[in-house]
Amino acid sequence: MDIVVAIKHIPSIADDLPVKGNNVDFDSVDFVLNEFDEQSIEQAVLVKEAVDGTVTVIGVDLIGELDNILHLALAKGADKAIKITADDPAASSHQQAKWLSDAIKSLSPDIVFAGVQASNDLDGQIGPMIAAYLDMPYIGGVSSVEISDHTATINKEFSGGFGAKYAVSLPMVVGVQAASKPPRYAPISKVRQIAQTATIEKIAPSGDASAGLAFKKMAAPVATGHAEMLTGSSKEVAAKIVELLKSKGLA
Amino acid sequence: MSNNVFVITEHMNGKFSDVSFEMVGKAKELASALGGQAVAVVVGSGVAANVFASDSTIHVDDAALEQFNPEAYGKVIEALVKEKSPRLVMFGWTATGMDIAAWLSARLGKPCVAYGRDLCIENNTLVVNSQVYGGKMIAEVAPEGDMAIVAVLAGSFPAEAGQGSTAATTVASPIALDGLKTKFVEAIKPAGGDVDITSQPKLVSIGRGIGSKDNVELAEELAQKLGAVVSSSRPVVDAGWLPRTRQVGKSGLRVKPKLYLMLGISGAPEHLEGMKSAELIIAINTDKKAPIFNVAHYGATNDLFEVAEAMLELL
Amino acid sequence: MLTSIEKIIFILLALTSAGFTIHGFKTIIDSVRKGRSAPELKNVPGSLIKAGITVLFQRTILKARKILSVIHMGLFFGLITYAFVNLFDALEGLVPGFTLTYGGAHLAYVPTGLVNAFNLISDLMSGALLIAITVFLVRRFFVKDKALTFRDNVLLNDKVKAGAQSRDSLIVDVFVIMHVSAHLMAQAFRLDQGADPFMPIASFLNSIFGASQIGLHVAWWISIGWVMFIIPYLSRSKHTHFFIAPVNLGLAKQNPRGQLDPAIPLKVPNGNHYDPGAKIITDLSWKRILDSYACVQCNRCQDVCPANFYGRPLSPSALEVNKRYLLKEATFGSHPDRLLLPLTEAVISPEAVWSCTTCYACVRVCPVGNEPMADIVDIRRRMIVDGAELDSGVQNALQSLATNGNWMSKGKRLRGRWAKEMEFSIKNATEEPVEHLWFVGDTASFDERVVPNTKMVARIFNHAGLDFGIMYQNESNAGNDVRRVGEEGLFEQLVEQNMQAFGKAQFQRIVTTDPHSFNTLKNEYPQFGGKFEVKHYTVTLLKLFEEGKLTIKKELSHYKVTFHDPCYLGRYNGGFTAPRKLLELVGVEFDEMPRNCENSFCCGAGGGQIWMGKVAPGERPAENRIKEALTTFEKNPSDKKQLFIVTCPKDMIMYSDAVKTTSNESKIEVRDIIQLIAEAVGVEEPVLTQAVTSPA
Repeated sequence: MDIVVAIKHIPSIADDLPVKGNNVDFDSVDFVLNEFDEQSIEQAVLVKEAVDGTVTVIGVDLIGELDNILHLALAKGADKAIKITADDPAASSHQQAKWLSDAIKSLSPDIVFAGVQASNDLDGQIGPMIAAYLDMPYIGGVSSVEISDHTATINKEFSGGFGAKYAVSLPMVVGVQAASKPPRYAPISKVRQIAQTATIEKIAPSGDASAGLAFKKMAAPVATGHAEMLTGSSKEVAAKIVELLKSKGLA
Repeated sequence: MSNNVFVITEHMNGKFSDVSFEMVGKAKELASALGGQAVAVVVGSGVAANVFASDSTIHVDDAALEQFNPEAYGKVIEALVKEKSPRLVMFGWTATGMDIAAWLSARLGKPCVAYGRDLCIENNTLVVNSQVYGGKMIAEVAPEGDMAIVAVLAGSFPAEAGQGSTAATTVASPIALDGLKTKFVEAIKPAGGDVDITSQPKLVSIGRGIGSKDNVELAEELAQKLGAVVSSSRPVVDAGWLPRTRQVGKSGLRVKPKLYLMLGISGAPEHLEGMKSAELIIAINTDKKAPIFNVAHYGATNDLFEVAEAMLELL
Repeated sequence: MLTSIEKIIFILLALTSAGFTIHGFKTIIDSVRKGRSAPELKNVPGSLIKAGITVLFQRTILKARKILSVIHMGLFFGLITYAFVNLFDALEGLVPGFTLTYGGAHLAYVPTGLVNAFNLISDLMSGALLIAITVFLVRRFFVKDKALTFRDNVLLNDKVKAGAQSRDSLIVDVFVIMHVSAHLMAQAFRLDQGADPFMPIASFLNSIFGASQIGLHVAWWISIGWVMFIIPYLSRSKHTHFFIAPVNLGLAKQNPRGQLDPAIPLKVPNGNHYDPGAKIITDLSWKRILDSYACVQCNRCQDVCPANFYGRPLSPSALEVNKRYLLKEATFGSHPDRLLLPLTEAVISPEAVWSCTTCYACVRVCPVGNEPMADIVDIRRRMIVDGAELDSGVQNALQSLATNGNWMSKGKRLRGRWAKEMEFSIKNATEEPVEHLWFVGDTASFDERVVPNTKMVARIFNHAGLDFGIMYQNESNAGNDVRRVGEEGLFEQLVEQNMQAFGKAQFQRIVTTDPHSFNTLKNEYPQFGGKFEVKHYTVTLLKLFEEGKLTIKKELSHYKVTFHDPCYLGRYNGGFTAPRKLLELVGVEFDEMPRNCENSFCCGAGGGQIWMGKVAPGERPAENRIKEALTTFEKNPSDKKQLFIVTCPKDMIMYSDAVKTTSNESKIEVRDIIQLIAEAVGVEEPVLTQAVTSPA
């Protein structure tokens, strides 16, 4: 089994996002791994452990800091890491999906995993786009994957516990919502050891695809309303809440 | 090329989701500004599709489309869109729409906007507001070219405007549906035995801020005192701290309780989608800039554990 | 005295006994040599001599259980005396006519006074021994002192569960009683010329039983025969303590208390590959294998363990006891394969491993220089490397530390946000030179409950004209607790990040408000090239008072306070005086809690406990501590406002919480010492001109 995980390095939303012109000021933000990619890496490694295969993690290096992420993925059980050196922090999902697809094509994978979405997927997610570029079927919102006889049995979630089970003949692209088990912890000693010994394959970006979007503005949302803030010590706040609930007959 | 606005509707077990009506309502507004028609597209088999206020409704009917199948649905929509060349194709940014919108965009080489919150026509140009970066930013973008695909967040527009009784035109699938690689196996129903959070009048909802699995107990205790049930945002469920039946939001359930008490939820758009019509929303989150405070009725930035414990004593 | 046949029997017995004894100690030494190398010790003969003196004065046991310690002295000096007593008994048996009774009058070459002195000492010591051993016997078997037992949830070796320890004690107790009684009887039977004033007990017995040659032979054989049996037995029992304890004390940790041993020894023998930490017993350093032979299983460490107090399945002594029995089964018994048993199965349960707060109380109190806490950290280290499932709270904290440099999942850039909210600007030490680089730490930077105190420290520093700065987003968690939770790789990563930040900064010394950061910066960063002068803020503040840069404007005599020594400031680094002097300066009434300074009781947050998702039932250490404070105040009641003073951000959180959970808000309030100083110096929070919250 050749398993590929396509990942996205995205601006962290732990901090406020500064704006420059009509877009985020990418020079002033930290980049982190898309949280759904943590799930997709875990799901890929779980599949590999179940069916015996190799996991290749591939991502676009937007700001020259992808190595850390790839080392982490290797420490969690990926076998090979590839970075597409683009140095373009504003690269759209379309552009990243195109670069990734061209690189993934040469790996002729049996299955490709991607995070179901990312918080910066303004022009859509890379998973379905890779599927389109590689002419493979795609299913997103996936919460478990099992493979036998070159067929993937996939659980897709709709909402509220409803979902559907699909059987897909490989190859395909899977958009992971949640791995079948919570992502494992990779000891940093292992990550650091890998950082010293592992080689990350570097490839140049090839293929162009534009999102076709003209940016007019990027700004924090203007609130239409704001909560009435309860202030004071936690005790006081608790008392205010309880009082409020009682006055409304809710407690 | 036409100036029509296509709405790809969604249905499950013969029932259309709210977002379908919401989109149709918006599509009518956009279509009239563009001088085109609002067309509801229903992909399925034997669906009672005469429920929209659209200018027209196309029901692509094929036995192979009885259940949602991203591959089959995608191919049908692609063929239809290629044939009819609408100005705008609207999807819901939902479990089903998310599988097809971006795929279609890449197939056709037409722009796509996800996380859509609002659309308008300015000087005959489509402008889309998209709620990105977990709701921390609104991007205003204009898709280039003659066709755009927009996936909108559920709950963005009123559903009533889309409800009607336009007769549907049933057509056969524009493309052969044999040789599909994706096969629907079976439907998965919510695991029985757990409470139904959609029917609860009071919910204590916990988010990432709860920190760890064991702290869930504190929320359970508080809920019990309040006669409420514990629900959560997605990360709590993904981490395995609560069953999926308790998840509120886009990939979870939409709830409309009398009380929605939120502990440590910052309020990503996906979550807001599921709870913003609750009657009383109280949010406790240490990040005073958390988007939830723009939606909640009451808020506090104190430590959630302290507040919860103090409440336990008072109740 | 002995007949020829008796002599032959004696020599044969002695040889056999010696054979078993040598085999016993060789087995012990071999097992110790299986351990990994320990941090290099300097001047070993010197330390051994020092340890010898310490043992002679019984210094280390007097740290706790004073009365029992005095009784232990009776046993100790009694047994030392008996080493000589037995030597002379043997000589009396083998050398015809040799006897020390009546001053050894016939021994022309020995001064009578010396012999009398020895007779008197050995006679009285015999009595002391009998009393001491009887007390211990009564304590274990009749009073059944709980201190000698373990909680039901503590992992114990099967043999221990079946009572092996008690049997062992009984054998040795009975030996001492029989041996000493027999010796006294032998001496009594020897007194054929009536009482010897220098042998009062023997003389008393003589007055009852008279002198008897047959009696002498029988008593002598009982006395010496027991010795022949007991010496080899000791090497196979917990009483190896008698011999190993002083040696172990001499070879005890020489590095600072706050410096953990490396996860992989600095010296790795050629051809060996060492994984970090310890999975099996031989992954421990040889010194910590030796620990288990030195341990007499007194459980003093268990008495002071906050996790054990809290009802968690951790007992540091059970750890040593289990190590000892594991070694015995593997080396003396027929189960050599047991050496390969994971420590988490044979020695300590995983839950116990994750209960340790790394407060160092167990190591501090141990009379024989054992380090059970270090074993626990080593076990954690290997569990993490081996990918053991972690507590979800710990995993979250570690993941956040790896990506954000703090455990609270806050963005790096938010670290200095509190400083930007101040009414004056605070220098960025990575951009302009400062005298004092203030290492703020995670809790003080981010936790809303602590940030007001952090701001007050800044105001006081500013008020005193101290030249200081912080590193804003360049600061990462110092890594003290990361290292103690066993994530050595992450610790190294954090050290590197901070070292890079320090590299950008120009400063003369580091000051920190967090004892945990203080400890690792001071004691562990030097190993990574970070040799800085590191001060805790209490020391810096005291200096500012001494230099007249801070002056008291108002005496705070309306407060009655007690002070909690944080483990990492106090026990680890001896920072006892500065906080107390500051309290004296501000003029509060100060009551010391019974457990203070070295003997302070941990708040329960250290070693990663504050990250744990699990909150176990039962009285938490911090709650117990608040009660201790209140009991202290009650001894000397007054109408003054009662305060619990802390000097550690984690304490602020733990104790504020404990005051609430014990419903004592009306009786006691937790404050950081900086709040008292602010009040005394007259520095106040500025009045806000703007509303705290404004709609976005």
